[in-house]
Amino acid sequence: MGVNPIVILGSVLYFAVIFWIGWSSRKASLNASDYYVAGRKVGAFVNGSALAATYFSPASFLGLPAFIFILGYPFWWALVGIIGGMPIATLLTAAPMRKYAPTSFTDYYADRYDTKWMRLVAGIPTLIGGLAYVILSIVGTALFLLAILKLNFTFSVILASVVIFLYIYYGGMVATTFSTAFQGIAMTVASLMAAGYVIAHYGGLNGLTDAAMSVSPNFFNMPYVSAAPSHAIMASWTGVVGFFFVWHFGFAAMPYTVVRFFTSQDIKSARRSVFWAVIIGGLMYCGLVIIGTGARVLVEQLHPLMQTEGITNAMDVFKHMQTAYGVAGASVTDYSMIAAMEALNSPFLLSVVAAGGLAIAMATAAGWTMVLNILLGRDWMGKVFGSTLPEEKPVMVTRVMTTVVLVICMLLSFNPPALVLDISGAAFVVILCSVGPPMILGIWWTRATTAAAYINIIVMTILSTGSWMYANRVLKSAHWFFLSDPANKISTPHQVYWVFVGFIFFIIISLMTKPNSDEVIKKYSLDIRPDL
Amino acid sequence: MFKGMPKIFWIGMAIMYGWCFFFMFLEMTIPGFPLKRFLGVPACYIYNWMIGLFLINVFVSFLFYWSEEKREELKAKTKA
Repeated sequence: MGVNPIVILGSVLYFAVIFWIGWSSRKASLNASDYYVAGRKVGAFVNGSALAATYFSPASFLGLPAFIFILGYPFWWALVGIIGGMPIATLLTAAPMRKYAPTSFTDYYADRYDTKWMRLVAGIPTLIGGLAYVILSIVGTALFLLAILKLNFTFSVILASVVIFLYIYYGGMVATTFSTAFQGIAMTVASLMAAGYVIAHYGGLNGLTDAAMSVSPNFFNMPYVSAAPSHAIMASWTGVVGFFFVWHFGFAAMPYTVVRFFTSQDIKSARRSVFWAVIIGGLMYCGLVIIGTGARVLVEQLHPLMQTEGITNAMDVFKHMQTAYGVAGASVTDYSMIAAMEALNSPFLLSVVAAGGLAIAMATAAGWTMVLNILLGRDWMGKVFGSTLPEEKPVMVTRVMTTVVLVICMLLSFNPPALVLDISGAAFVVILCSVGPPMILGIWWTRATTAAAYINIIVMTILSTGSWMYANRVLKSAHWFFLSDPANKISTPHQVYWVFVGFIFFIIISLMTKPNSDEVIKKYSLDIRPDL
Repeated sequence: MFKGMPKIFWIGMAIMYGWCFFFMFLEMTIPGFPLKRFLGVPACYIYNWMIGLFLINVFVSFLFYWSEEKREELKAKTKA
């Protein structure tokens, strides 16, 4: 498998469009408001497309097909859960947050809980999750660069970091919003086109189903009603329902999507942008389901490396990629989606998919890096520790933070700690169980207290991170309940139960502690709800 | 808690969760349910892939913004 000029041309065209958008919008990023929240002048469709491109990451584009490849049909429900969680945001957080109109994710915590230190505390899980996401975005970009240029993985990681750095450094939120909107369309077109190729290759959905079952007879097996499960993790309802909820509430409460509600023109536009994000993201996910379902059979029947001596199945192909290109161990199965596209032997398709993959990875890296550099610069350095520099030179400070974040993440990307979707799931659960309850209940429950916010964020960050790492180390997978008996393990993907425990814990602590002042509750809870 | 949340939110939630968990329940109680034929293809492509993953969510998100805009229009007219 060599470098194909058509694939390179497709990628060059993609970069040309991205840098043209960045160049033409460069003058719009000169003041702080434009740099942070795009001057709050982005319309519903553009914001919706940008929301979809930012929210969906290489964890979606590479990770979801890889997990369908590994876990089979029951994992389709995880994709349903992700898209199903998006409309919830319309009324739960998008409209109230746009009405409140902050600049940064932590503004709400500082205002609602009436202390600047909440910026620091709420920022900790955000920092952990954010770094994880930038890492997986660099790994995703690197895997696509590897597919295009056939470079060594380490060089691909360095190149990916440089590309993402330049993109964000010169962009700010204006350029990233408009180019991200374009990326949203690019990734959806790529996913649908790939799905179309797969369905056409097998002569329809029936042919695809038969082909998938020919190499994975248990692929469509559900728990309790089949002789053997599709995978041990999917052998009980907790596995299926657990995966449904891992990413489900993310669109409503994850910092990198919540900040995009701030960039919309008004509340009406914020609500409509969710609708467009559901259409764009939903269509992309429809494509990913088909790609994931066909991935194993495509690779095993058609991939050129299957002709190589000693390679007998799809996993052998990935192992070959690992040794040939130095792909770090944990992320090699993430190559399954790209391998399935390579198997179809269409340079045009591969060029479109590579452009779509680069789009989704760069959009997510940009979204998260903006959240992190605003957190580290404006919020922590300026608002918490009193430096005037972020106010005087906001663009310079956030650019320095961008550099710091990307250098750290690049170093960690050389040997990713897990599959991209596992990194994503861990980040979601940590953030959703810690800062999710203070945000959602802060808006919708007047009794939410500052003490509960502090305690919940600290306790849940420790419990969710600790249990995930413990399960991953001792039980060899973060998808088993961390206190399970190793001989009789219970499936709880990514320790997802902490999200629900976090809400209950927050309510109990709030009821036991002193409520906030009436003025704060009115301003940051009652007044930002709809006027009924 | 959730005082002031428009009623349509709970209706939308009931539609989305009702659909998903009803079919998950059927899949875990009826052997081979995802592969049973419906409209000429395995049923899972209809209730999961087309409706559960896409159509129902587009409908619910449309319902949310449309009903809120209608409510706000009505309120503005009443005020005027």
